[in-house]
This record gives sequence, structure tokens and C-alpha cells, in this order.
Amino acid sequence: MPKTNSRMSGLRRGMKRRVLYLSQPDQADRICSGCETCQLMCSLQNTGAFNPKKSRIKVVTLSVGVSVPVTCQQCEDPWCQRACPEKAIAQDKKLNLVVVDEKKCTGCAACIGACPFGIMVYDSEKKKAMKCDLCGGDPACVQYCPSKVLRLAGNYDSAEIRRRRFAAILANEDDAARHSIAGAEQIKTLPKTMTQLATQSSGLLMERGK
Amino acid sequence: MARKKGSYAGKILRIDLSTRKVEKEELDLAFAHKHIGGRGFGSRYLYDEVPPEVTPFDPANRLIFTPGALFGTAVPAASRTTATSKSPTTGMFGDGHSSGHWGAVLKAAGYDMLILQGAAPQPTYLWIDNDKVEIRDAAHLWGKTTMEADQALRESLGDREIGTLVIGPAGEKKVRLAGIFSDGIMGTFARTGLGAVMGSKNLKAVATRGGRDIGIIDTEAFRKAYRDYLQVISEDPYVPPATKYGTCRFMYHRVKFGIHGAKNWRLGDFDWKPLDPEVFRSDYQIKASSCPTCPVRCRREYRIPSGKYAGTVTKMEWETIARCMTCGVNDPEGVIYFSHICNQYGLDVEGIGDTVAFAMECYEKGLLTDKETEGLPLHFGDPEALIEVTRRIAFREGIGDILAEGALRAAGTIGKGAEQFAMQVKGAEMSAGDPRGMPVRAVSYATSTRGSDHLRSNPYVEELITPEEGQQFFGSPEAADIFQGLKGKGRLLAWSENFVTIGDLLGLCKFAYYRSATFSYLREKGVELATRFYNACNGTKLSEEEMLLAGERSFNIEKAFNVREGAGREKDIIPERFFKERLVGGGPSHGAVVDREKFDRILDEYYQARGWNERTGLQKRETLERLGLRDIAQDLANRGRLG
Repeated sequence: MPKTNSRMSGLRRGMKRRVLYLSQPDQADRICSGCETCQLMCSLQNTGAFNPKKSRIKVVTLSVGVSVPVTCQQCEDPWCQRACPEKAIAQDKKLNLVVVDEKKCTGCAACIGACPFGIMVYDSEKKKAMKCDLCGGDPACVQYCPSKVLRLAGNYDSAEIRRRRFAAILANEDDAARHSIAGAEQIKTLPKTMTQLATQSSGLLMERGK
Repeated sequence: MARKKGSYAGKILRIDLSTRKVEKEELDLAFAHKHIGGRGFGSRYLYDEVPPEVTPFDPANRLIFTPGALFGTAVPAASRTTATSKSPTTGMFGDGHSSGHWGAVLKAAGYDMLILQGAAPQPTYLWIDNDKVEIRDAAHLWGKTTMEADQALRESLGDREIGTLVIGPAGEKKVRLAGIFSDGIMGTFARTGLGAVMGSKNLKAVATRGGRDIGIIDTEAFRKAYRDYLQVISEDPYVPPATKYGTCRFMYHRVKFGIHGAKNWRLGDFDWKPLDPEVFRSDYQIKASSCPTCPVRCRREYRIPSGKYAGTVTKMEWETIARCMTCGVNDPEGVIYFSHICNQYGLDVEGIGDTVAFAMECYEKGLLTDKETEGLPLHFGDPEALIEVTRRIAFREGIGDILAEGALRAAGTIGKGAEQFAMQVKGAEMSAGDPRGMPVRAVSYATSTRGSDHLRSNPYVEELITPEEGQQFFGSPEAADIFQGLKGKGRLLAWSENFVTIGDLLGLCKFAYYRSATFSYLREKGVELATRFYNACNGTKLSEEEMLLAGERSFNIEKAFNVREGAGREKDIIPERFFKERLVGGGPSHGAVVDREKFDRILDEYYQARGWNERTGLQKRETLERLGLRDIAQDLANRGRLG
């Protein structure tokens, strides 16, 4: 069982939840501002100290003025779980979470190379892998995000939100781009970046598999 | 369970670039709790290590970097680092403050302070990778712009998440208006020419990687203070326009008072409409971005979508716009591009803006001709002239070589009475708005310990307080009268200088803590919450009075540094223009000059409030001893410099 079992009570059972990044392209102050408060609040919540290297959510700065937070997508068929030789990564079927059992983890970092999103985190002091467990249902990152662009949502909610956002841009692309170049850019570049990441790391995984 | 450790990293890193010696000292916690951090550490070490005999470009001069005490924690808007050195602009105490990641990374690497001394024989950069410190050859970086050097470092070190400090070509060439840039163009240690000090040490960059925890003692108290802070900024009417427009919003403040300082501080009124914050917001702004951990989000990056400067992306703040107006420029794309080249060449926009405005006035008055400028017409209002002369300053070409020394020194070279057009205090060029009509603001520019500066004090306090608050805090209801008030103004100035210094000790941003719509919000954020955050992170029990006292202590150390350099009351003065020439403008300050008698009376009250000698402006022994600075009092006594 995952170590944080008691903390999971906050999650409604049977519903898949994720931390979702939402930009509001028509509102320039509702896009990730790059303040990285989420990283520090995550590390405080989960390690008791401030350390962005130990945060399970990462704000990636793509270029000047373009930053996007990324974190675990709690996959249905997790790459990290498949890569783990110690069977230390398990899915909690009830809570629909992917969790690391710290006792079983030997710190080999196979999962770090396997994750298509690059968000498995390695604690180099403890020599253990770490990942987002949604803080048991009330993630610190969502709670403290000053721009309110992080939200906890189910799969189907998130698909709808993304669809609407995409449609809004198609409907009035010029206007959206004028008001929020970054918003438009994030939406255009993000899937590509993720695809590249996924391709690169699956290559790594296959090599490791041999 | 992580071991309980406060927000200090615990070590001081000292690197001698001449002998290549690297030393690590333990940080004494008693020292830390007395001087808090940031500007407090920097000023104390500079006082102890850089005596009057050492000139700014002497290898024995120090360049000290000190992240604020709370930088690295999640305390809102705790993202400021201080750089301290003897300034090549003023020859006195010099410091710059910057946002960016680097300071937090330095602390994560284990150091609360980086002290640089000596000078490398050839271009060099530092690689601080946690415990490992290397002095490396920087031939491949020399000559590169700030962004290029930052990118090259990240690529060659194979880590995009490092923190960096770099200087641009201007710093390499010891341009006295050069700054030091943090993480590309994320933040700038802009004022007082510190980029030139780094250049004089042949140091192009400092790259840092750190992976340690920044501790916290009382998480619950921290969370509570955090929620209270969010509550205050959700109520404070100051915040929404800051989030909406960024610092460009200060345009409306300048318009309200008619204090633009346009065309080298002659005009209070100006055709500012093309530079309306709404224009920047709708046509150029990328998004509301922020410095590390800040919920206010007033930082802005801009992009020029089309036209001659199409594709330019840069960070820009209000002072860039203000200083372009000083040069009479009101073309928004020219302004953004000017910001871009200053960022790339590694220059301080405030120093450059005033220096170019000085040159433009000299050109207008015939003191500079096409012969000296090599055919470059320096007319007010011409963005291309501003941009071209800035480039020449950065590379010290032709007229740029003269102007690269700053307005005051350039005036000395030009001669013919050009000094009267150099708008500076203690050698540092002016910033912010025109002080005519607002006497306490005039005095605040004069008393700043690093030369003209609006961020050294917070004279804006007078705009917020009610007459009752004036009576309660500063002994007179007149303190609330912006234009006519006299009594209480000196006390208000001394208090607000101590008050904003707290932000520099803790690494808190002045826009997030030291600007507000009301005085009660201001005190709640700037003193109460700041103290609570410090206590929560470090397990201390400092009172608000003790925190203000720490601010006063640092301010007095800087003052003592300047006193030891020979500066007394005569240096606490503003340019003659403000006393003599009436402000031409449309606002409430129209037609005003700074009344010399009022200026002196406020200054007298200020010295009294500070416990300094009114006649000489020197510090009294009992004042320094009250602040726990007995050794400094003794040093000044030995030199005959006590008041």
C-alpha cells in the first residue's frame, strides 16, 4: 500500500483526477506567470523544506515570457511502473493514482528515464524516486497558485476545457494571438514538445529493456 | 524528518580572483540575526573590507552578492539579491538589487554570501556547483551579450536550470553605467555601475548550481502569515492595476502630479499618450509574468510584432519609459527597443537615459556639436539617436567613450559649464519623477546613500497618510500635506528609509511590500508581515521595532561608509536646476521650484530624527552605539569623522 494511505481520504473514490494547466488566452493575467510558487509549496508540503529540485511539479520556461507548469498525468498504463525493476511503483486502483513505495525503491532511476513527461523526480540526497500524489486530494500547488491556472480536474472535465480553449483560438485566432501571444504559443508548442519528449524517452526505455 | 534549520544556508564563500584562493567561512548566526541579510550583510562587509584608500577599480575593491534572508523560501515576492561594492559612479557606497533565480540557487548551493576580491589576469568565469568551486577561462564568453552569454553557459555546462550572473559588453569595457544581469535578462543589478566593477575584475559570469534545502522552523506560522498576506493584497486597491499594467502603471501617477521630468528634467508635462500603459498592454505585452514566488505579477515582457523592430522580445519596467521621456522619446517601439539593447549590452537604463538626455541638452545648447558626435544629431525626441548613442556608449565608440563615464564625469570632459546640465546626486543619475513642488521627495533624493534614488526611501508614504496618521507617527499633521507640509517631513523620511531597508534585508520586493493604497496596508505588509515571515522561517522572536532598527542599522553603516569617504551635509544636495528653474508642466507642481529654505529645514529635521549632527551631517557617537555599531563609531572617531 502507498505510504500516504491516510492522506488519500480527501480524494473522491473512483474518479480520476489530475493537476491541469489551464491558460486563458483572452486574459493575459490568467496564464502561468512563471512565479514558481507551486514548486516551493510542493516541496514544503512533501519534504518539509523549500527545494525546487525536490518539487513534483516543475515550471518549464520555454523562452522569455513563456512558462508552463508540468506534472504527473497519473497514466492509465504508466511508463514509470513498467520501467521499475523493483515493482516499487504501483497504481492505486481505487484512487486512480500512481504512487512510489519508498521502501521498495532502490534509486536506480529507471523510471526517471522512462517517464514521457519528464516529471519523475529524483531526490539525490535520499536516493529515491518521487512523484506527484496530488497531496492526497488537495494539492499545495493548486491551493497556492496566484494566477489560478492550476486546477484539479477529472479526465472528462479536462478534455472539455481543453476543447473549448482550442475552439476559442480557432474562432478568433488573430485576436487571441494579439492579446496573448504566449497563450497561443503555449498551446501550439506544448503538444509538440511533449511528443518529442515521449519519443526520446521511449527510445531510452527500449534500450534499457534490452 | 528534515533537520530544523532556518532560511540561512550557513556559509560565506570568498573567492580571490588574483590568487585563485577559495575560502568558505561559517555564517555566524548572531551576526545574521543582527544584520538580517541582503543589504545588511553587504554593507557591513563592505565597510569592514574596503577603506577609503581603495578605488572602485582597484582589485582590492570587493564585489559582494547577498541574497535576501528569505530568498529561496516561498515567502511571497522574496526574490531579491543585493550586490554591493564601492561604486565607480559615485566613488562611495554602491549597491544594486535584482530579482532572478541566481540568489536562491546560491543559497541552495550552501552560501548566504559571495565575496569577490582581486582581479583575474584574463577573462574568467566562476562555476559554483554546490561544494565545488572552479575559476574557469571565459574566452568563449567574452564579447557576448547578456542573453548570448547566459545561453552559452547553460549549454556548455549542460544544465538549463542553473542560475547565472553575467555582464554584457558594456561591463567588460568598464562603462560606468553598466549593470550585472541575473539569469539572462530576468533581473538587473542596475544602479551605481557594478557591471564595471565586475568587468574590472575580468569576471564575465558566475554560474551556480545548488540542490540543498532551504529550511523553515515554524511551518504553521509561515502558512498563517502567507494567508494573511494574500488577504491583504486581495483587499489592497494598489494591487489590481499593478497586475493589469505592470510597473507601466506609474505613468498615471506621473500624469496626476505632472512630474514627468521630460527633456532632461525641464518639463513636467509631456505628450505621453503614445506611451499610455493601455498601449503597452494591448499591443506589446506578452503576459502578466512574475518574479519568483510573487503573487502580484507586475513583471512584464514585451514583444514588438511588426515594423522596424519586429520580433524584439525583452523585459521592460516603468523606469525605462520614464527615462526615455527624459530624452523626449515617446515612440513605444523605440522605447521597447531601447530597453532591449540596454538589456543586451548590459546597461542601466536609468543611468543611460539621464546621461543621453544630458548629452542632448548639451547638443541643443551647442556645447556638443556634430564634430564631437561624428555627425550623429542628438535631438530630443529622436529614438534612433537614443538607440545609436546607447550603442556607442556600450562599446565606448567616439562620443560614447566620453558619455560612458556617466553624466557628471562627461560634463567635466566637455567643460564649458556643462555640469549644470548633468542631473545627478553624488554622481549617480536621477531616477523617478520630478521633485519640484514636493519638498520631501527632493530631500529624499539627496539623502539616499547610493546617490539619487527613489527606492532608498519611500517618500510616497506622504501620499497615503491622513493628517491623523501624520500626527501619530511623525509628530505633525503637516506630514500628510504633499505640497505645503514641512513639520514631520524629516521624521517621515527617516522612518520610510528604515522601513524600505527591511525589504532589502529580507529580499522582499518593494512593489509587493512597500507600495500600497493606504498607510495601514503598507505597515501591515512592510513591517508586520515581513517580521512574521522572518520569525517563522528562522524561529526568532524579533519584534517589529527590532526589524525597523535593523533597517536603521544598515542605513547607518552605509552612511558611515560615505562619511568615511569624506561626504557630509554638502553632499546631500540635489541638482541646481531644481532650485532655480521653474517646472513647466500642467499638474499641481506647475511653476514650482524646490525652495532652498524648506529643503534645509526638512533636512535639519531629518538629521535630528536620525541622530546625526545637523550642521555637518555626520553621525553622532551615541547614535551609532544605540545601533550596536560601537566599532564603527570608534573608526570614525579615529578619523575625526564623528558629528
